[in-house]
Amino acid sequence: MSSDKSAGVPARFNVGDRVRVRELPNLFYTRTQMYVRSVTGTIAARTYEDLTPEDEAWNRDDARREQYYIVRFRQKDLWPEYPFAADTLQTELPDGWLEPANN
Amino acid sequence: MSHSHDHDHEHDHEHPAAPMVEEITDFEVLEIAVRELAIEKGLFTAEDHRKFTEWAEQIGPAAGSRLVAKAWTDPAYKARVLNDAVEACKEIGIDWTEPTGSGTPSDYMNLRVLEDTPTLHHVIVCTLCSCYPRPLLGHSPYWYRSPNYRRRLIRWPRQVLAEFGLLMSPEVEIRVEDSNQKCRFMVLPARPGGTEGWSEEQLAEIVTRDTMIGVALPRAGRTADDTRPVHKARRPVPHETEARP
Repeated sequence: MSSDKSAGVPARFNVGDRVRVRELPNLFYTRTQMYVRSVTGTIAARTYEDLTPEDEAWNRDDARREQYYIVRFRQKDLWPEYPFAADTLQTELPDGWLEPANN
Repeated sequence: MSHSHDHDHEHDHEHPAAPMVEEITDFEVLEIAVRELAIEKGLFTAEDHRKFTEWAEQIGPAAGSRLVAKAWTDPAYKARVLNDAVEACKEIGIDWTEPTGSGTPSDYMNLRVLEDTPTLHHVIVCTLCSCYPRPLLGHSPYWYRSPNYRRRLIRWPRQVLAEFGLLMSPEVEIRVEDSNQKCRFMVLPARPGGTEGWSEEQLAEIVTRDTMIGVALPRAGRTADDTRPVHKARRPVPHETEARP
């Protein structure tokens, strides 16, 4: 095991992968909006590797860095009554907030 | 103490001065406290702070307009913008590390430019607060930071765009970009018709701030310098000097 505490968590997802946003408890601080929780989307881009907001908020500079992704959702999946099938929404999420989805 | 004095005293209290400013926020108090401590410690001077504030507040959307105009006229530049936008900004004279070397006032060093097509329209928002590509567009407009825009754009984007006067065809996919981590986003709108043969300088004039946020579309003839429409009063009140004989 490397002694470098700031080594990144291996990125688990690639562009095109289907992912679901995890429903994790809110402890003190997060930037993962409630409206994307438990919703399935598609990885649109891999952006950068960095601390998670939850660690950064407490100055945990030695925490493990995670890959961030831009995830694309269908608006109809976010808001069931949304009337335009083709419309989409993108937002950025770190690896740990995502889990693989098959649908 | 005379009766008249008491009366005058009470009279003063009956007409308290109305507050001229809204209540200061906790963040403003915090900023002032940290700034004053930093000045006392000698990290920078009050003059340094004033100069930086003046510099930061004069940044406008002109750099973003230049980027869009150059991308419209130079396909190779557009490819570089879409591949590495922070690097491509250097070609129009914008270095995201200025002035501190660590990114202020950009917050961060990640920028993605979202290209509109005839069938895809982007619009940006930060639902958490106010993430905005400041090195290119300056400070965000007040409505961009308002809870109304932030909470409604993600859910009713077409209705909110209509409130800006932008009615989008149902055939066009609307893609909202909720910018709330360390990437900053800017829209590269589609080049409008009627601009064939225009120079980069001419094109840049019609690329207004709102077209790069995505709440308006550029069009030939409408520039950032357009005057606002003035609707004359239906029952005007004559000015005092005009009423005099």
